[in-house]
Amino acid sequence: MTTLLTNPLRVGLRQERVITPQCIVIFGASGDLTHRKLVPALFELFRQRRLPSEFAVLGCARRPWSDEEFRSKMGEALANEIADHPSAWEQFSQGLFYEPVDLQQADHLVRLGQRLEGIDRLRATRGNRTFYLSVSPEFYGSGCRALAAAGLLADAERSRVVIEKPFGRDYGSAQQLNKVVQACAKESQVFRIDHYLGKETVQNILVMRFANTIFEPIWNRNYIANVQITAAETVGVEDRAGYYESSGALRDMVQNHLTQILALTAMEPPGRFDAEAIRNEKAKVLQAARLANEDEPWKCCVRGQYSSGGSRARPLSGYRQEPGVNANSTTETYVAMKLFINNWRWQGVPFYLRTGKRLPKRLSEVVLTFRQAPVHLFDAAGGAPTPNQLILRIQPDEGAEIKFEVKAPGSGMRSRPVDMGFSYDDSFGEPSDEGYVRLLADAMLGDPTLYTRSDEVEAAWRLYTPLLELIEESPWQLPVHPYEARTWGPAAADSLLGDDGLGWRRP
Amino acid sequence: MSTQLTLQAPLDVPPAEVYPYLDRLWNHGLEGTTGAATFTLLIWEPSWLEQQMVRIGRIEGPIRGLERDDLIEAARLITADCDLPFSTAPMDPRLAWKVGQLEGQLEAQDLRGQFIPNAISVHTPRRLITLVPTLDASQSLETMVAAYCPLPDEGGAGAACGDAIVLRGGMEALRQGLPLIQPLIDEALPCWVWWNSSLDEPPEMLEALAPLPRRLVIDTSLGQPARCLDVLVERIEAGQAVNDLNWLRLRSWRESLAMVFDPPSRRDALAHVVQLDIDVEGDHPVKGLLLTAWMADRLGWHLIDSSPAEEPGGINAEFQRTDGTTVRFRQMPVPVGLPKAHPGAIVGLRLICEPADRPALCVILCSESGGCMRLESGGMAAMELVEEVVPLPEENEEMEMARLLGGGHDTTNPLLASAAPLAATILPR
Repeated sequence: MTTLLTNPLRVGLRQERVITPQCIVIFGASGDLTHRKLVPALFELFRQRRLPSEFAVLGCARRPWSDEEFRSKMGEALANEIADHPSAWEQFSQGLFYEPVDLQQADHLVRLGQRLEGIDRLRATRGNRTFYLSVSPEFYGSGCRALAAAGLLADAERSRVVIEKPFGRDYGSAQQLNKVVQACAKESQVFRIDHYLGKETVQNILVMRFANTIFEPIWNRNYIANVQITAAETVGVEDRAGYYESSGALRDMVQNHLTQILALTAMEPPGRFDAEAIRNEKAKVLQAARLANEDEPWKCCVRGQYSSGGSRARPLSGYRQEPGVNANSTTETYVAMKLFINNWRWQGVPFYLRTGKRLPKRLSEVVLTFRQAPVHLFDAAGGAPTPNQLILRIQPDEGAEIKFEVKAPGSGMRSRPVDMGFSYDDSFGEPSDEGYVRLLADAMLGDPTLYTRSDEVEAAWRLYTPLLELIEESPWQLPVHPYEARTWGPAAADSLLGDDGLGWRRP
Repeated sequence: MSTQLTLQAPLDVPPAEVYPYLDRLWNHGLEGTTGAATFTLLIWEPSWLEQQMVRIGRIEGPIRGLERDDLIEAARLITADCDLPFSTAPMDPRLAWKVGQLEGQLEAQDLRGQFIPNAISVHTPRRLITLVPTLDASQSLETMVAAYCPLPDEGGAGAACGDAIVLRGGMEALRQGLPLIQPLIDEALPCWVWWNSSLDEPPEMLEALAPLPRRLVIDTSLGQPARCLDVLVERIEAGQAVNDLNWLRLRSWRESLAMVFDPPSRRDALAHVVQLDIDVEGDHPVKGLLLTAWMADRLGWHLIDSSPAEEPGGINAEFQRTDGTTVRFRQMPVPVGLPKAHPGAIVGLRLICEPADRPALCVILCSESGGCMRLESGGMAAMELVEEVVPLPEENEEMEMARLLGGGHDTTNPLLASAAPLAATILPR
């Protein structure tokens, strides 16, 4: 009999570091992210006993809320969690405060400083502060400047700033933003968040690669024929049209999430497990990455945009018919591309990246396809032997799978492919923490391992600069191919691999 | 693990001058730094075994107070000379006492309190205060002071971040020196007290060093089992944040057992446990009882009865599951040729579950370095067998301590808080 009960012997075994006394200041506290992700993540940390009693959350936004209003709004947003843990919420919410702040008003920052000193006294938070900029991206630079001008980032040991994505719109703006931020704070104080790195299964790429000896010897051009990285969504643009119209899939998904997965998949082993060693290797591999054809980038990239589709019972509108979207929009909701990494390990191995909205399945995965055996000794049930594949499933059904050939039962020596799988659900049976739980804890502990460093961000933007320039200057060379909602993207994306004699894995 | 000496040579300062000296050091000598806002670590560091072994020439000085491989090795070799069983753990306080009866008058430099393990120094304690009693009970009080800072891994000098204070002398002198300590503890910072010795030592010193709200670290493998569990339970019930190194050393056993039941398909078996057997090294039962109590607490078992087993050192007990079924428990001491450093290490564990409508499940966990032959015998042919080897991480006291300091928890681990009173009840008195 299978049970879905929690393993009673597992409860409480994790003894992770308690965060030092701390006040986390959330700018943009009236926004979605605060009540959907940040405060729930902090409440989860509190329930896991990872927050000390000397802890406070100060919400800041322009709305003239009081502490009580802020607590009440957060309480409404977390109603389900609170119903299960009412006394924990009672304790946690005592540490929630609110201060109306406009980051552009110097006197507001002075008032903020005074409020923080008051909270230090009231909650014994000892001047340790994490400022979380959950504001519109155009305010990242000015927000940092305002904090620095008010002296709130002066203590490099006790103050940190977390910056949400997107960090810049292109290479130039990312460089510019880095300059501004680094003029306000030391790099060790800056935490550029990419919530994909908070996912257990993304971190598992590192563990799979570097905690096992069986993979690393074959993790290179001698054995791997190609790598596919896919992040597919079933949803459309939903209520994000305002942001998405100016960003598109390339900026929204590829430059950050997919590129981070690429870096973890392709990086060299770090000498030790610490933030700098890991980020050095990630930066190095991104600096070695190139579009497959930089001179004619339209040959190695396909853009798409979903059109209407779905079933008669549940029709889905096309992107251009979505609320808030320009009826003639050329924003891509799908992008596929081919990259190479010019180093000893990966020379000549194509990396195919794709992401899209309104695809048939929601999934993220990395697929490493190995080279064919040099000689085919056996008949294959499918005509030709299937190449070995290692599939790292990031979501859903988190886990890993290896495909290999075995002898098909019966007389003769025919081979057929089988799967050997590992599933987080089957092995652990416990849900993982939401990525923000891990990332917020790390930021407050001052551990930047899962945050992106300035050179990583710039290398990621530089990688896609030829494409961004092309879209900007001669978009007709990189047209947006329509694809029907709930299909696997435009046919041109299949040709991208088809020209190499390959095909996308159909998950 | 490498260690480092303090940044400057420790300075002998008269006891009455310690506080004024430190005040001058931070306010004038080290201008521009206020030191780390972290914690104070107060250590009771008698190192009786090390002192005695140096005195009789079985190991060389200086005396450092840290767990060292040559001391463990020498202690294992001297067990027979002391007329103790081979299974006696090197850190067993009885061994130090027996060695104390052997002849020898060698002396060595005493550097206790001046070596700071890297694992601890990376947490930049603001102040380390080490009390080091000497074998010579009449020795007068000496106090030493030094500023220190962890050496950065990759070059570059760090600013001074803390100081280390050593109080050395005979027991009486240290008792007289106790009033020096309170003014040295910054009340705005957490204070950890590491009782790095047997809990059988005179209780006044522990009482004086570890009042609430200081966080206490003890080791319930060192001392009479009843005394160890009583101290643990009393302190927890008093609301003190208590950490037990003996409990922490159970980490891999708890983790290994939990791993067996992580796959959802096995979880149901946990509701149908009928028998639990544990083998421990030597005659110190506390570690095994803490593991048992943890399981009983997590699985909702109620203790019905416990009694000494017929075999010397063994314990029998009966629990009742939530559905009223009886769970039989038996803990046995087993002899070993190469005992672990601390008394009462677990050798093996067997858990038998009898779920309805399914074959019985037998889980056997064995220590990496020991066998499980006793647990593997007897009537399990028809059962589904899960057998795992529990890894024993090569970690010493200082690394365990560093893990605690890094964790920063200001309350007793709730699992320990629940398990300790039950373990104390299972122990036959």
